[in-house]
Amino acid sequence: MFSSKKPTMNSHERPPMCVQGDSGLVLTTDPKPRLRWTVELHDRFVDAVAQLGGPDKATPKTIMRVMGVKGLTLYHLKSHLQKFRLGKQPHKEFNDHSKDALDMQRNAASSSGIMSRTAMNNDRNVQITEALRMQKEVQRRLHEQLEVQKHLQMRIEAQGKYMQSILEKAYQSLAGEGAMIATGSYKDLQNQATMNQLGAMAFPSLQDLHLFNNDQLEISPQLDRPLEDFFPSNEIALCLGKKRPNPYSYSNGKSPLIWSDELKLQEFGSHEENLKNNIDHEHLQIAPSIINGGMEMESMADVYEAKPVLSVDSNGEKYEGSSKVGRPSSAPRRATVSTPERMSPMIRGGGLGQTRNLSYA
Amino acid sequence: MELVLDDLPALIFSAGSSTTTTTTTTTTVNDDISWEDWLSPHLNWSHEDFHPFLAAVGDHYFATLPHNIQNQSSSTSSTTTTPEEDPTPPTKFPIESNKTQRLLHLLTAAAEALSGDLNGQDLARVILIRLRELLSTDNAGSGIERLTNHFTEGLNALLDGDATFPRRSESNQFPYRHYPAAEVLTAFQLLQDMSPIASFGHLTANQAIIEAVAGECRVHIVDYDIAEGIQWASLIQEMASRNDGLPPPHLKITAVTNGKRRSASAAKETGRRLSDFAASVGQPFSFRLCRLDQHKRFHLAAVKLVKGEPVVVNCVLNPGQVGYGHGSVTSVGSFLVGAVGLRARLVTLIEEDIGAAAGEEKGSFLRRFMIELERYMAIWESLEAGFPKQGRVREMVERVILGPRIIGAVRRAYGWNGIREPIVEECGEWMAAAGFARVGLSFSNLCQARLLLGLFNDGYKVEDDASNKLLLSWKSRRLLSASVWTIPTRMSPSPSPSLAI
Repeated sequence: MFSSKKPTMNSHERPPMCVQGDSGLVLTTDPKPRLRWTVELHDRFVDAVAQLGGPDKATPKTIMRVMGVKGLTLYHLKSHLQKFRLGKQPHKEFNDHSKDALDMQRNAASSSGIMSRTAMNNDRNVQITEALRMQKEVQRRLHEQLEVQKHLQMRIEAQGKYMQSILEKAYQSLAGEGAMIATGSYKDLQNQATMNQLGAMAFPSLQDLHLFNNDQLEISPQLDRPLEDFFPSNEIALCLGKKRPNPYSYSNGKSPLIWSDELKLQEFGSHEENLKNNIDHEHLQIAPSIINGGMEMESMADVYEAKPVLSVDSNGEKYEGSSKVGRPSSAPRRATVSTPERMSPMIRGGGLGQTRNLSYA
Repeated sequence: MELVLDDLPALIFSAGSSTTTTTTTTTTVNDDISWEDWLSPHLNWSHEDFHPFLAAVGDHYFATLPHNIQNQSSSTSSTTTTPEEDPTPPTKFPIESNKTQRLLHLLTAAAEALSGDLNGQDLARVILIRLRELLSTDNAGSGIERLTNHFTEGLNALLDGDATFPRRSESNQFPYRHYPAAEVLTAFQLLQDMSPIASFGHLTANQAIIEAVAGECRVHIVDYDIAEGIQWASLIQEMASRNDGLPPPHLKITAVTNGKRRSASAAKETGRRLSDFAASVGQPFSFRLCRLDQHKRFHLAAVKLVKGEPVVVNCVLNPGQVGYGHGSVTSVGSFLVGAVGLRARLVTLIEEDIGAAAGEEKGSFLRRFMIELERYMAIWESLEAGFPKQGRVREMVERVILGPRIIGAVRRAYGWNGIREPIVEECGEWMAAAGFARVGLSFSNLCQARLLLGLFNDGYKVEDDASNKLLLSWKSRRLLSASVWTIPTRMSPSPSPSLAI
């Protein structure tokens, strides 16, 4: 059914577009035979991966077993899986349409000619037109998706900015209330362990744009991984320290939201502390709660494996971070990003004294 | 622990099982009393999970149950399965221990007791007391314990605050516990980072709004429950940064308040914040309040209209905000009817989806309670799956944001019995029935939702439902829906605001 001009010959003598048996692999006849990932094969791959619990859980070996396709080697699967993982975020939930269309486009664009899903028609011109049309359609969709991505990022950022501003105001009004604040209501929040966890989360909040930039590492899959993956700031540094400057405005690469989260919880504590002890602080100080003790210090130290920028004074519970870190939103927009060491104190939120001078935009 | 269980069989028997007598009520109300229904198919507890538990509780009553359970599994209960439901089993929450099973069983028993006639109150109270004893008092318990704690509180709130029960003056107010604004905001921001449920509805609605008012020079939004105004931040930003060369349209937001002073001042504060934000991005903005009357009805006259401006009506039904008539059928009904009077170009609705199709028998309180229990189980699970190590943070978000919602959801489930003012459920279904026209959601909207979900754990799914609705679910358990409508060209005369389905 396929003209002999097509170099895509099935090593098992079965035309790829027809019934795909268990071992219908399509190999090219180039000097170096390379496996062609047809739509069907890719679909089986995707199914197998899904069965195994997602691209992060699946391994080439298990995929191979599940797929049960003869002739498929670990090598093929390794590279395909890697591509799939990298490409997964941006394409993840897209219209299956566009994915299929992409595959078709890929196939269509091959030097072999056209393999049309719809037409059994061997008329080459028709097929070429069809492929071009699909290509345009795909490009249009991709463009639209990119637009949506951009807008989504902007919207999420706007939400974040607004949240920050109203939180600021809420804190200010709290501080204004002075000693009237019932200490009881903050007991829950002052929980140092919560703050630890919060700082340790360091998860790239929605505002971290690197998510959307295809060329950069995806962070999102890491959202569901345990913290250790994140925190030894290698991955963070990787994510943030990419050579290419982030085209979007909040490009200093740090997630403003992390800090502000830290900040919030800290500030609850710090308000308490202020009220109780009238501490004059130009650096933001974490005033942990009643519960603390050395135990908390340890856990913080564990979590933040950076060098001890923390200093714990004799009161036991004041942390001062490095003061060179500014608030992300008021910091000058930077295209490059801090080193991993600097990340930790920043995440800790130490020294973020200028908490009130939030400027928008 | 065993002591508790030994006492239980007696209690359960008298709770009105179909095999015993005295407290069973008329069948119309009591359609869910049989034991089989307790093992709702939604819970998907495997029979194996239940057997040790059943053995502990009492052989003689439950000896026949394995058969019942097996029958149950083959014939799925009809009312709440929808055609769209996945064949994949719903959320299976890891049931760690017998204690968990007991807690859940007690909870359902309490709900079941309240599902019956009024005599069930006393039984329910007893069960709730036992639940309290079992649950650790601090919040360090496991996920399910915390969840059960919130639902217990919900049932307690029901008992304490219901009009037919011993009356207390303003205990109907919500949030049930009043947290300081800063804490609520912090928790909400955390939730935004941890789960798409916080932003999903807002983003979907805003996208539809932007598409609908493209090219206009004025936009007027009437918002039923403005809360902190978070939804509008991204809209304001979007409008300010219009890139087609035109100046941004003037945005006016009218916030509906329930007339109480606190609600009005909170709304005014929100207005101030939105105005400041809009000013910071250069967006022309104005803000107004609109009060509901004393019966929480909406009146057109309270809204100031400018001739020719397109009106968008936004309705977010957050169970945590329900209280004192706000969110009631009368109130929301009048608001939506008002939308027609305003000749709204668009009506956006965000609500917790129940999954029952219009016209179906909604069933008893117990059934609806189970739906809410499962919904929040799914949310709990989704948070845990995404952030397994941040237990304390999750606990805080659960307590501050989700807890009040649970209490409201339990009320909503109960209100349907007609004993008290019913709270809106399945608003979308009512709107469809009342003649509101569906507005299809664009590809961009769906795309945005998918991208949003892509930022979170894999378990979230978005699907479109009925062309004008996006449904967010966690592993086939529906969580939220956002739908877009426009006013009908013709509406039935004097549409009743009651959900007469």
